[in-house]
Amino acid sequence: MSTSPPAPASAEPTARLPLRRPRRGRVLGGVCAGLAAHLGQPVGIVRLVMVFATLVGGAGAVLYVWLWITVPAGDPVGAALDQRAVAMSRLAPRLRTGAADLPVAEIAVGLVLVIGAGLMIAQRQGHSLDANWLLPALLLLAGVALAWSQLDAVQREQWLMRTGGGTPVSILRLAGGVLLVLVGVLLLVWQDAPPASLLRSAAATLAVLIGVALALAPWWLRLVRELGDVRAAREREAERADIAAHLHDSVLQTLALIRAQSSDPEAVARLARAQERELRGWLYEDRAAPGTSIAQAVRGVVGEVEDAAAEPIEAVVVGDRAPDANTDAMLQATREALLNAVRHGAAPISLYVEVRPEAVEVFVRDHGQGFDLAAVPADRLGVRESIIGRVRRRGGTATVQNSGERGTEVHLALPAAGGEVG
Amino acid sequence: MDDDAITVVLVDDHRMFRAGVRASLDDAFDVVGEAEDVEGAVRAVHELRPSVVLLDVHLPGGCGGGGAEVIAGCADLLDETRFLALSVSDAADDVVSVIRAGARGYVTKAITGPELGDAIKQVAGGDAVFSPRLAGFVLDAFGTGAGDVAVTDDELDRLSAREQEVMRLIARGFSYREVASALFISIKTVETHVSAVLRKLQLSSRHELTRWAAARHLL
Repeated sequence: MSTSPPAPASAEPTARLPLRRPRRGRVLGGVCAGLAAHLGQPVGIVRLVMVFATLVGGAGAVLYVWLWITVPAGDPVGAALDQRAVAMSRLAPRLRTGAADLPVAEIAVGLVLVIGAGLMIAQRQGHSLDANWLLPALLLLAGVALAWSQLDAVQREQWLMRTGGGTPVSILRLAGGVLLVLVGVLLLVWQDAPPASLLRSAAATLAVLIGVALALAPWWLRLVRELGDVRAAREREAERADIAAHLHDSVLQTLALIRAQSSDPEAVARLARAQERELRGWLYEDRAAPGTSIAQAVRGVVGEVEDAAAEPIEAVVVGDRAPDANTDAMLQATREALLNAVRHGAAPISLYVEVRPEAVEVFVRDHGQGFDLAAVPADRLGVRESIIGRVRRRGGTATVQNSGERGTEVHLALPAAGGEVG
Repeated sequence: MDDDAITVVLVDDHRMFRAGVRASLDDAFDVVGEAEDVEGAVRAVHELRPSVVLLDVHLPGGCGGGGAEVIAGCADLLDETRFLALSVSDAADDVVSVIRAGARGYVTKAITGPELGDAIKQVAGGDAVFSPRLAGFVLDAFGTGAGDVAVTDDELDRLSAREQEVMRLIARGFSYREVASALFISIKTVETHVSAVLRKLQLSSRHELTRWAAARHLL
């Protein structure tokens, strides 16, 4: 066994997940978790750097708050899938998972703050005031934070509204925020005994306005963000409709062909199977860019054999990576093995391909009587040359097993280019 | 209809498909009801209390959660009612989300009548039903390398060496009986391994890692 083959990572486009604050695995606002996913770094390291930057000069905290405000909440993987080109994504909608959780923690924080405000007013009437500006200022900040926190919940609320269970959570949150800001501003302005001066009341008005504007700003931000989302969604929808029209067209043509050839059951089966495969691919599979996926290449080979032989093949591919110099030989050997199973074996025919970084393993199995490799005449090139020879020349192994009731199985193992099967 | 027939509720939004399944099931099964959307399915399962629900993965209604949402809505009945996912989609996300919601197995709609009957019997008896494709998803989620093998029995995020072996054989198209004879173990042992894998698939968070990896590759 040689040292591990060069990772095929360089062949893959260095893609990054978009910056989102995931709901799962967050400690505070999900900023570090999102950043880690985006940069492809472990969360622990990102958190450590953030804490370190906070301790040294406080830059981390500023960055954190800024990202919290500007980065939308959401699932980075979901967002990445949404951003893929329509022609490469599946048409069928994905199942929505995850339960609708009410923002219990946020409501609780809001309640505590409102109660705190009430207590402070009561305390003020009881003439016992210490820290008479610190607490109001804190309260004001908390109110603003509560109002801003709804930016967090945009997705969740859209979700709630769609389900018809739309609770007025956002209104509650906004009202709470505005109330707290008002109380805070009033407490700040009416310090101790109020000498009702004009200047002060003007300042009070201004302060209230600023406070309200601060509380309303997230609504505006959210509106802008949603507008952009809606526009993008409309464009994608139009593109999807085009693809759907093309698909319907191809199904119609297949149906016409089936009707024309209805006396030939084999042709009908072949046409139906080919159409099924095409529809399945468009509806349920995300496609990789050509030449970047072994799994996709294997599916292509299965399609060719099914078309040629009118025999369905149950294909399972596990793992994936970019093709290398040995992949073509593997695909050709697989094609020959499948054709062999279709011609000489009996249904059902299964193909299992396991793609690992260091090797690819292929199992082609049918339920026929099988053949004895030693008994295959030397002049029959089929199995000997096109399957076994091809794989062995590339440093791989090929075996044919057949055991009466379990049918026949061809097993190919091919190392990644530059390696050896150990 | 004899008394010990297995009661079945069919949930699928295509009427033709429901009719087809109804026709293909023999006397051992009693189709007591049908439903075509999420709400109707949850209601029907609660009213009829069948032993097995044949559940399509993609269903209209509800919050868009499809079959997974039906199972979540029937969580109080999971002890007496078993769910078997039946889907035309063979996308990993779809199938795994229904399994994680609590389905005991997954078969494709291309399945023949007798095979479907066997699968329903297995699920009704408390066993898990793995198609080659589901076994493939499991291997994808838990990894196929030697370093992906669990050392202790209670590890949720990795398969044991035997479980990996069983999954690989099922993915290669072996029936439980063929797996048993290939590994020189009893069918009961195969079923035990498969149930353990199903439990890990439902409880572990490994499938999310796979999603991340897949998304990264596809970008």
